[in-house]
Amino acid sequence: MLLVVTYSRAARGSLRNVCRTHEETVVRQFGRVALLRETAFAAFQALRLREKHGGDVQVERTEPFNEFEAVDEEVRTAARAYEERDSPSLPYAAFATREGFPDPEALREREL
Amino acid sequence: MNGAPTSGGERAVPADEPVVVETPDRRLSGRAVDLGVFDVAVDPEEVAAAVREEGGGDGGESDGDAGPGAVTVRCPAPRSVHDRVGLVEPGTALRVRTALSAAARSRGLSAPQDEELASVRAELSELTVPEADTETARERLAGTESAVAKARERVATVRGRVQAAREAGRDAADLREELAAATRDLAETETERAAAREALDRAERRAREARDARERRRRLEDRAANLKRAARAHLVGELREAYAAAVSAVPGADRDDGGGTNGDPFDVDPVSAALAVGRVADLRAPVVVTIDRFEGAAAAADWLDAPVIRV
Repeated sequence: MLLVVTYSRAARGSLRNVCRTHEETVVRQFGRVALLRETAFAAFQALRLREKHGGDVQVERTEPFNEFEAVDEEVRTAARAYEERDSPSLPYAAFATREGFPDPEALREREL
Repeated sequence: MNGAPTSGGERAVPADEPVVVETPDRRLSGRAVDLGVFDVAVDPEEVAAAVREEGGGDGGESDGDAGPGAVTVRCPAPRSVHDRVGLVEPGTALRVRTALSAAARSRGLSAPQDEELASVRAELSELTVPEADTETARERLAGTESAVAKARERVATVRGRVQAAREAGRDAADLREELAAATRDLAETETERAAAREALDRAERRAREARDARERRRRLEDRAANLKRAARAHLVGELREAYAAAVSAVPGADRDDGGGTNGDPFDVDPVSAALAVGRVADLRAPVVVTIDRFEGAAAAADWLDAPVIRV
């Protein structure tokens, strides 16, 4: 999808207008941010916004997150195990050491 | 034109001096001026524009010298409320609250938000957003992706031909040379792609920092807008009663409830609203009116307590 983020009141206003006028192109809108469908028409609208508001409009292309491709199994298991932990107040760092999961620092350095 | 060698656009007319309206062949002055005596119809918009320019410029130059359009007005400099209620004509559109807060300003009233609003605006004017262009870098990278693909394809093709020649026992010297050239070309385009990627990464990092600044600016803009709204609400509150009283005193108002005043004074017809705002405002420059609510220009001037030009 196309992620459009606006950084000024004017750009936000234009984005809202685009979203109102072209509902079929909008997947989701959150305040000054919108996710547009992956079509040339959506790209056209995003480019128009950038043409009009320059750097106040950021356009990114997103892709679906597949945890089975993006990360190792240990990350998935760690997430599940941590959410099922017995003591809710236990920080993840301590949990990871005790259960043999990767520590948060190591995870931070690992790119997807 | 009559004497007055003053340079155009001078805002030097004292507040108590009569308004002077001039066309190429007529000159009228006073606190209440009625242009109805002119033989030719005058465009009220043009008179209002002349008031805004308050005598500066010759007005209507584009209409030619002889046209009826050359109207000049000498009068005190209009205050900002004038932009809202300086011209009252049938079909006037008015944002009453905005106009009323401008009226409050004309009376020298201030709002508790003024100071903070000024400081937010000062902060905004000092805030600079670094230039961060990523388009050039994106375009450069996009070009290299396709160049690498093409170079890779060529290497594969030539390699295939070398292979085929070798298998057929033909001399492949020329082809091997071509393969070497293709391989060099591939290496070069790959190097260029890597450089382009790096350049884009750098540009993206700069863009991210620039967006942080833009984000700060947007927050300030939002805050300024909120403060402005709050200030306006405060100023409107200050004049609400005076305005409501003025509305109920407007002659010939179109009141739904048959003349009563229990209706919402902000819901009144735009002409009445504009007149009421004009009455509570401290107007220096003349109001241009085209409506028939008053006996004449003088009555309108008395009611509004402001100079009036009746068109």
